Amino acid sequence: MALNPDRIDAAFYDALRRHYSEEEIVELGAFIGFNIGYHTFFGTLKFYPMFAPDGRLVSQEESARIYGAAPGSLAAASK
Amino acid sequence: MPHIEPLKAEEIRDPELQELIQRGEELGVPDALFSRILARAPTLAKAVLHAMLHSHAEGNVDHRLKEIIRVQLARTAGDPYFGGLRSARAAKTGLDESRIAAGSGRFEDDPRFTAAEKWALRYAREMYLNPEKIDAAFYAEGKRHYTEAQIMELGAFIAFHYGMQAFARTLGAQPPGKR
Repeated sequence: MALNPDRIDAAFYDALRRHYSEEEIVELGAFIGFNIGYHTFFGTLKFYPMFAPDGRLVSQEESARIYGAAPGSLAAASK
Repeated sequence: MPHIEPLKAEEIRDPELQELIQRGEELGVPDALFSRILARAPTLAKAVLHAMLHSHAEGNVDHRLKEIIRVQLARTAGDPYFGGLRSARAAKTGLDESRIAAGSGRFEDDPRFTAAEKWALRYAREMYLNPEKIDAAFYAEGKRHYTEAQIMELGAFIAFHYGMQAFARTLGAQPPGKR
């Protein structure tokens, strides 16, 4: 959906139906679309997790050092 | 026919969901096709439709500007369904096709748009084409035109509608007149 939407065709949906109900496919599709939209938006806002992996509350500067100031994007990696 | 068949109107019995579908029909975005596909997951459908309608038609940013942005985003997403829908409310309050098309074109040079509108149109265009351009300087410029609340309203609107357009594209849904 994010990188090669043309690959999601009728045959792809038929394959999904072998594993999921129509309700579950709609749930997955909307969830994935939501995440495609929001993660890019969040990326532009430059905020990082409030807690370190060990549970400590950390500053945004420290969090950026821990989690990486420039998270890799799938779109960039595919270019 | 879309890859997921929409429910028939008589198969949708939840009054809250019926009302949300009706509100979408009256606004024109989304029309019943997308709503009835979503209705296959009814609890999710209510949350999605609430968010779509609220982010597009309410808030403190001009609805007509959001409508221009929404169509621009659908073109970025390659989604003919949402790209072919139009807000009846925006049309009724003066938004015409020429201005909508201009928002997807060379709007930077178009004197019909204010500096604030041009910033919002760039925000939407760059978000999914060149997100690295939306940096601290870009947000600082946005704050000269909009409050932080309005910028969050715009960003959340852009993210949510683009996400649903990315989903709709894969469904093979078509707008009225092309079905």
